[in-house]
Amino acid sequence: MKRRGRGIACMWYPIGFTVDANPSAAVVKVNEDGTATVLTGTVETGQGSLTVLGQIAAEALGIAADDVHVVSADTDVTPMDTGAIASRTTYVTGNAIRLAAENAKAILFETAGPMLQVMPSQLEARDRKIQVKGFPQRSVSIGEVAKRAQVGLGRPPIGSASWNPPTVAMDPETGQGKPFSTYVYATQIAEVEVDDETGEVDVLRIVASHDCGTPINPMLVEGQVEGGISMGIGFALQEEMLFNAQGCQINPNLTNYIMPTSLDMPEIVVDIVENYDPTGPFGAKGVGEPSLVPTAAAILNAIHDAVGVRITSLPATSEKILTAIKAKRAGERKQVPA
Amino acid sequence: MTDVTITVNGSVRSASVPPETTLLKLLRDVFQLTGTKLGCDVGDCGACTVLVDGMAVNACLMLAAQADGRQVLTIEGLAMKDRLHPLQKVFEESGALQCGFCGPGMLLSAKALLDDNPDPSSHDIRDALAGNLCRCTGYSKIVEAVQDAARAMRDPRTEDTRQLEMHGHD
Ligand code: FES
Ligand code: FES
Repeated sequence: MKRRGRGIACMWYPIGFTVDANPSAAVVKVNEDGTATVLTGTVETGQGSLTVLGQIAAEALGIAADDVHVVSADTDVTPMDTGAIASRTTYVTGNAIRLAAENAKAILFETAGPMLQVMPSQLEARDRKIQVKGFPQRSVSIGEVAKRAQVGLGRPPIGSASWNPPTVAMDPETGQGKPFSTYVYATQIAEVEVDDETGEVDVLRIVASHDCGTPINPMLVEGQVEGGISMGIGFALQEEMLFNAQGCQINPNLTNYIMPTSLDMPEIVVDIVENYDPTGPFGAKGVGEPSLVPTAAAILNAIHDAVGVRITSLPATSEKILTAIKAKRAGERKQVPA
Repeated sequence: MTDVTITVNGSVRSASVPPETTLLKLLRDVFQLTGTKLGCDVGDCGACTVLVDGMAVNACLMLAAQADGRQVLTIEGLAMKDRLHPLQKVFEESGALQCGFCGPGMLLSAKALLDDNPDPSSHDIRDALAGNLCRCTGYSKIVEAVQDAARAMRDPRTEDTRQLEMHGHD
C-alpha cells in the first residue's frame, strides 16, 4: 500500500569565512559611452554569478545590467579572487565590485558637480544619468560625465577595491570565535509516497523557503535552489559511491551511479524570504551550496511520517526501507501478548 | 575506411572514416561541429543527442556509417539565420540552463518532442527528456521552458512560428 508522509528540515549555512584572509578584488571602469567594464577574478560555472555581479555594478552606477561588460577569470589581467567556493561570490566578490563601482562613481560625482553647479554630495546616479537629488531634470548623462572626467579633469573614472570579511582569529583555548561573516537560513518540506510492500519512495513535492538576504536575481536564486534540491534528492535516495576492498570505485558510470532524471524530480516550490543583510552588497548574502542542505533530512523525515521507520544511512534505498519496515512489523508482532 | 555522406544542418558533407567511427566522433572531430557534447560515450547521459531524420538519437551509439544518406540536425543548425529557435529563446530568457553542458542535447530532444507533439503535458516533457541528464538545474526550469516554447510555437501570431515553417530543416 502506498502511504503518504511529510517531513520538514531546517538549516543554517555560513557565508564568508573569517578564520583566514578571504579577499576579493575588483576593478570597475566607466566608459565614455556610459557603459561600464568590470574586472573580476571569479569564475562563472553556470550559476549566474557574473550576471549577479554585473547587476551589482549596474545598481551602484545607476545604469542597466546590459550596460555592464564583465571580464572574468583571466589570471593574467583580472584582480585576485579567493575563488568561486563556499557560496561566497555574491557576498564577498559582490562587495568588492560594489566598492570599486562606488570609487568610480565618486570621480563621476566630482566631475559632474561643477557641470551641474552643486556639491558632489548632492548628486546621485540613476537611469544612466548623474542627477541632482530631488531634481532629476538637472542631469547629465553618465557617458558625458565619464568623457569630461577623462579629457577635462584628466581623471578617468576607474575604481578599484578589495573586500575581505574582517578576519577574526579563533580563541586558541576554547576554539570559540566568529568563524563566518554571515549566515543564511532555509526550511524545506518534502511530501513523499512510500510503497510499504516494496520500500520504493516517490518524492511528490518539495517546498523550499530560503533566506539569502536580498535576492539580487530571483530567477537565478530559484535555479540554484531547484538544482540543489535535485542533488539533495539524489543524495537522499539514489546516489552512492561504492568501493571494493582495494579502494577502487565499482560504480563509476552513470548506469550504476544513479542520479536523478527529469522523471525523478517532483514539483518544486521555491519561496524566497526577502531579507536585508547590512554587510552584504545591497543586502545580499548567498544561495549556492545551502540549497541542498535540508533536502535529504526533509525526505527522510517524510519517510518516517509515511511508514514509521527511521533510516539513518544514505541513500535511503528501497531495500533499506523495506528491511526497516519488516523489522518494525516483526517487533510489533512480538509485543502482542499471547 | 568507410565513405559516409550525410546532410548536416542542410548541407551535404562527406568523409572517409574508419568503420568503427561513431556519428558523434564524425560530427565533432571530422566536421568540427563541437556543439554536440561528449559526456559518457556509452549512451547514458544524452549530451550527444542529435536528430537523425527528425528522430532524437544518442550520436555516441550510432555509427557514422549508419547515418549515411540521412539528414542530421545538430545544435549548430537549430537557430535560424538571424534568430534563435523558440526553444533556444525561451531557454535563454528563463535561465533554463546553468553550466549548459546538457543544453544541446536537451534542446534537440525537446525539438523532437515538439515536432511530434505540439502540446505536450509536463509529464510528456519529463518523459521525452528522461535520457538527458542535467546535474545543475533540477530540470524544473527546463520543463517549464519547453512548455512555454510549445505555447509560443502553437500561437499563429508569433513570427517565430512562421519563420520556423519557412525554414523547415527537416
Ligand atoms: S555521450 Fe552519448 S549518451 Fe553520453
Ligand atoms: S545545465 Fe549543467 S548539466 Fe544541465
